Amino acid sequence: MTETLTIALSKGRILDDTLPLLAHAGVEPRDDPDSSRKLVLDTSEPGVQLVILRATDVPTYVEYGAADVGVAGKDVLLEHGGAGLYEPLDLGIARCRMMVAGYPGANAGRGKVRVATKFVNIARRYFAEQGRQVETVKLYGSMELAPIAGLADLIVDLVDTGNTLRANGLEPLEHVADISSRLIVNKAAMKMKHRRIKAFTERLADAVGVQAA
Amino acid sequence: MKEAEFASANRWLLPDAVDEVLPPRAAALESLRRQVLDSCERWGYELVVPPVIEYLDSLLIGTGPDLDLQTFKLTDQLSGRLMGVRADMTPQAARIDAHQLQYAGPARLCYLGTVLNTRPEGPGRSRNPLQLGAELFGHAGVESDVEIIALMMDVLRIAGLPSPHLDIGHVGIFRALARDAGLDADTESRLFDCLQRKAAGEIGELLQAVPAGPARDRLAALADLNGSVDVLNQAGEQLAGAGEEVQTALRHLWALATAVERHVPDVTLHFDLAELRGYRFHTGVVFAAFVPGHGQEVARGGRYDRIGEVFGRSRPATGFSADLKTLAALGETGGERERRGILAPWGDASDLVTAIRELRANGERVVVQLPGQPVHPDELGCDRQLVEKDGAWQVAPL
Repeated sequence: MTETLTIALSKGRILDDTLPLLAHAGVEPRDDPDSSRKLVLDTSEPGVQLVILRATDVPTYVEYGAADVGVAGKDVLLEHGGAGLYEPLDLGIARCRMMVAGYPGANAGRGKVRVATKFVNIARRYFAEQGRQVETVKLYGSMELAPIAGLADLIVDLVDTGNTLRANGLEPLEHVADISSRLIVNKAAMKMKHRRIKAFTERLADAVGVQAA
Repeated sequence: MKEAEFASANRWLLPDAVDEVLPPRAAALESLRRQVLDSCERWGYELVVPPVIEYLDSLLIGTGPDLDLQTFKLTDQLSGRLMGVRADMTPQAARIDAHQLQYAGPARLCYLGTVLNTRPEGPGRSRNPLQLGAELFGHAGVESDVEIIALMMDVLRIAGLPSPHLDIGHVGIFRALARDAGLDADTESRLFDCLQRKAAGEIGELLQAVPAGPARDRLAALADLNGSVDVLNQAGEQLAGAGEEVQTALRHLWALATAVERHVPDVTLHFDLAELRGYRFHTGVVFAAFVPGHGQEVARGGRYDRIGEVFGRSRPATGFSADLKTLAALGETGGERERRGILAPWGDASDLVTAIRELRANGERVVVQLPGQPVHPDELGCDRQLVEKDGAWQVAPL
C-alpha cells in the first residue's frame, strides 16, 4: 500500500503563492485549482492530493487528521490556538502585519475600550499582556467601518499597505505580530508518515530558500 | 428560538463532547473491558477502584496547572473543602500506592473507570472518557518501562489494533539541556511551546537571546531529532558534549529500543526527542501509540518518578492510559456481531420454567415474550424459539 499525503490549501493569496513552491517541490495539481470545480485535486506526484478549503478551516482539517499537512496563515493559527499541530516551516509567503488601528490617539485613553476584530482570541491575549481590559466585538469583515460608525474604539486587523486605513482617516497604532504562512503538519501523520513528510518539508524548505534568494 | 426554549424543547440532548454507548456497541465495549482487565490480571496487575470524587488537593497535588483546568470542582457540604471529579486516575493510583498499600517491593496496579474532563483533550474527543490504565511503582530501570509498553501494546492488540506505531521521547533531555544553557523560566516555557509545535523559525529567534555556544547548539538540534531509531545515533553525535544526565537518558532510550523490539513483535518505533507530552508531570521516558487513519494518539504514558513524594513516599513510577471507548470504536471490525437468542412464551407451568432455566444455565440467551405486546424477534435479537412439541419444550427455528 502506498502512503497517501493530503495537503490542505486555502483559496486566494495563499494558494497563488504556495503553488510555485509546491511546483518546485515536485507537486503540481493536474487541474487548475482556480477554474476546476473539484474539491479534491490529484497531483503530478502519485498518492499526493490537494484539498482546497476556507482559510480558517485548514487548521481544523489538519488537527483532526482529515488532511496530513496544510498551509495556513500565522493569524489563523494564533486565533485557532495551534497547540495540536506542528508548524515546522515558515514559507515566508502572504506576509503582512497584524496591527491595532483606529483614529490617531484612540489607543491612548484610559478606561475601557471596545475593540472590533475578526481575531477575538488574539486581541484578548494581546491587550491582556499589555495589562489592558478590553471588550471585544466579533466582526466578519470591513473592520475599518467599526471606528467610523462608532461601533468600536479600535480594531485589530491584518494590515498590508495601510492604504485602506488611511483612506478612511484611520492609522495603524500598535504592532501585534508579523504574519506569514506556515506549513502545518498533523502530529500523528508526522510520526506515521515520517519519511514522506520529512522529505516533503525539506523540498519545500529548499523551494523557500530559492525563492528568497 | 430562544436559548431557554431550545433547551427545554431539547432536554434529551447531551452536552457537547459528552457521549454514551448504546447497544450493540455497549455490549462490545463491555466484552473488551473484561478481556482487557483479564489480560492485566494475567500480567500481575492488581485492580484498584478509586472514588469518582475526592478532595481537590489530593487529586491535583504535584500535577501542574493543566490538570487543574481539566477538573470539575464542587464544594463538599460536610467539610467545606473543595472536591474534584477525577480528570485522570493516575494520581489516585499514586496515592493508593504511597499511602494505602505501602508494598515493600514494586506494586503493579491497574484501573478502569470514567473520568471527566472540563474540555476535550483533543479534537473530536469525549469529555467523559472511560480511562483504562496500568501503573508500575517502585522500579526505576528500563525494564519497567518495557513491561508497561509491552502491556499497552497487548491491550491494543486485544482491542483489534494490531500494528500501532510507537512514538518514544524523553523529557529529561530537554530539562537538562535547558538547565545547562541557563534558560530562565520564561524562556524555557516559550521554548517548550515552540518545540511542541516544531516551529523551527521561532526556535531560532528565541535562541538568539541565549549566549552562543555548544549548550545553545544542542538545544537548537533538539527540534530535528525525530525519526526512526537512527535518530538515537544522530543524537549521540549532536548531544555528545552534554552532561551526564543527557547521556544517561540516551543510554536509557537505546536499551528501551532494543528491549521493546524483542518484547513486542512487529512494532514500528519512532523517536522524537522534542516530544514533551506531559512535561510538567513526567520525569523520564514518554511514549504514545498511534494507528493509521486516526489523527491523535490512542494510548500514552511515561515515567513520573517524583509524584509519590508529595504523598510522603517517593517511588519511581511508570504507566500508561487510554480511553477504552476510543479503542473500542477504532477496533470495530465493521461486521456487527450476530446476536443469538431463543424466544420463549410467558408461562408459569413448571416444565416451561425448568426448560428456560436449563437453557440459561447452559449459556443460552432466552428472552421471554410478554403477553399483550407485539413481538419483534429482530429487536430482541432472537433467532430461535421455544415451542411445545409432543408434550415437551423444544428449541425450533424461528
